[in-house]
Amino acid sequence: MDPRLPALLLESTAKIALIFFVNLTAIAYLTWLERRVSAWIQDRRGPNRVGPFGLLQPLADGVKFIFKEAITPPQAHVVLYLLAPVIIFVPAMATFAVIPFGPSLEILGRTIPLHVADVDSGVLVILGLSSLGVYGIALAGWSSNNKYSLLGGLRSSAQLISYEMALGFAVVGVLMATGSLRLTDVVTHQMQYGWNILWQLPGFLIFLIAAFAETNRLPFDLPEAESELVAGYHTEYSGMRFSMFYMAEYANMITASALAVTMYLGGYHVPGLHLLNLPPNVAAIVQVAAFTAKTAFFLFVYVWVRWTLPRFRYDQLMNIGWKGLLPLALAHILWVAFLILMEWA
Amino acid sequence: MRIDFFLVMAALLFTIGCVGVLVRRNIIVMLMCIEIMLNAVNLTFIAFSHELQSMTGQVFALFVITVAACEAAVGLAIVLALYRRRRTTDADDASLLRW
Amino acid sequence: MHLLTGLVIVVMAAALVRAVAPGKPILTALGGGIAAAALLVAFHQDLAGTDFWAGTIGFLAILSALIVVIHPNPMVSVLSLILNLICLALFYLMLQAQTLAILQVIVYAGAIMVLFVFVIMLLNLRAEEGLRIGRGVQRWGAIAGGIGFATLVLWALRHRQGHAWMEPGRHAGEFGTAASLGGLLFGQYVFATEAASVLLIAAMVGAVLLAKRRLE
Repeated sequence: MDPRLPALLLESTAKIALIFFVNLTAIAYLTWLERRVSAWIQDRRGPNRVGPFGLLQPLADGVKFIFKEAITPPQAHVVLYLLAPVIIFVPAMATFAVIPFGPSLEILGRTIPLHVADVDSGVLVILGLSSLGVYGIALAGWSSNNKYSLLGGLRSSAQLISYEMALGFAVVGVLMATGSLRLTDVVTHQMQYGWNILWQLPGFLIFLIAAFAETNRLPFDLPEAESELVAGYHTEYSGMRFSMFYMAEYANMITASALAVTMYLGGYHVPGLHLLNLPPNVAAIVQVAAFTAKTAFFLFVYVWVRWTLPRFRYDQLMNIGWKGLLPLALAHILWVAFLILMEWA
Repeated sequence: MRIDFFLVMAALLFTIGCVGVLVRRNIIVMLMCIEIMLNAVNLTFIAFSHELQSMTGQVFALFVITVAACEAAVGLAIVLALYRRRRTTDADDASLLRW
Repeated sequence: MHLLTGLVIVVMAAALVRAVAPGKPILTALGGGIAAAALLVAFHQDLAGTDFWAGTIGFLAILSALIVVIHPNPMVSVLSLILNLICLALFYLMLQAQTLAILQVIVYAGAIMVLFVFVIMLLNLRAEEGLRIGRGVQRWGAIAGGIGFATLVLWALRHRQGHAWMEPGRHAGEFGTAASLGGLLFGQYVFATEAASVLLIAAMVGAVLLAKRRLE
């Protein structure tokens, strides 16, 4: 056995545990953020009774979900019914394995890179995992043995795969400029040539819109709209299983925000940090904090848009995905090709 | 380990897919067994590309994936059209042209 | 240790637990799981080699292919086909075809199979039907054909020129990367690539036309 293996295993396990823990806490507090921001937009108070500023509200919600009765519909296909929330949740969390949080840390003579895996085809791994997440929704809709769930599951899966194409094309624009599929290379390229949002603004907007559709968030959340389809694909879920769907949706949001930051906003790059001449570990921590701040900003944008815009009707949604975003994305690729030809990016 | 392991695996998968096409009646499951056969061929391509150190095998495996996608799409569209007319997905029921 | 022996031990442990306490499936699964974990700990050196993983993933691939063919419920068939495709993607990873492995997951397991799931959901197929297994001459012909095919395959493999050993680190750094694949696609095989794109457009138009509901 390779002598470097135990140290590597320990390092990877520590990173995975840390990311997992931070992610779960972030999901919980995202619910709090959503309720407070929506209250602010609607000119009322959000939760402010449970703990200071309502900060213990997610804890109360979690305890409530645990104590709720988990009803299984009688004619449902039990194995698939129980498997569906897992299938949605796992790809959402697994995507964090390839996202770079910061440059390397120097601890005890070891250089620890701040990402779990630096895969050669990092971007493709993310696209692949999001393709696999579609199955969870389709299975949830089908296995519940309920016509509203089936319709919701069908609509949602169709929406997801339609917008996956626009997402992929926006990502292709970034990859053309970078010349490599590694996410660490994407960040390093942006450190050198300027953030991708400056050169590829249309691509950024396409990415953002497609990310909204991919995470089933307003204005694209018809498949789970209460007024349309009871509750869509998660009608028949209750208790802890329903909270898994909820957590998976927020995990997807966090993943999409982190991706948007990595690909268009320079990842962990803080312009002008080298002028401060900080010791390398402190600089690394500042950059991780910058990454977190940028991701938090995008999460705020997600919540903001949800409580500002009305939702699209399903045929409008599909029209935008295929007849609007896709040609725009193709035109954007032409624009990026022109940029590369001119050597501006 | 030898490449032969992957070649035997591919032959086994191809046989299973072939048997599936012959044995099942549901058209959609027959299409899925055809996909198993195509995947077995892909595995053979890539195993040989590894042995002969040539990327051509992988290029052709990519083309096989593309053709499989086209064939699955058109096949499923035909199944949908058939279902709308005859309300069945049984291959034995699509027998109008049989004498 | 031979993978097959380990598998037999796990199955026997599960059967033992089942015989002692029937009607408790979780206990049976737990018995099998404890046996598997004990074996893994006892023979943990094997975990770092490729033989163990190739054998396990191969077993899973064959099992899932068999489930596709045998199981009456089409949705279960689709899911087990997805598992099969992911196992094959892991095989490609072992064979230094990283880009193709992840492309297989994205395109095949992530898009084509979603199409299958859609159609099954649209048609709401839950029907179960009997398999078309022949009798008499057909059955004996099939068995003879199967044995003949197996003999042919084993003979051909035994008499192949050059038995290559698969070493994961054998190739130069550029083998299997997206760059080399792209170089060939747009270099030597550019005609095939363009023809494939025409084929995709034809298939898209065909699928839309065939599945369109005629407004009568």
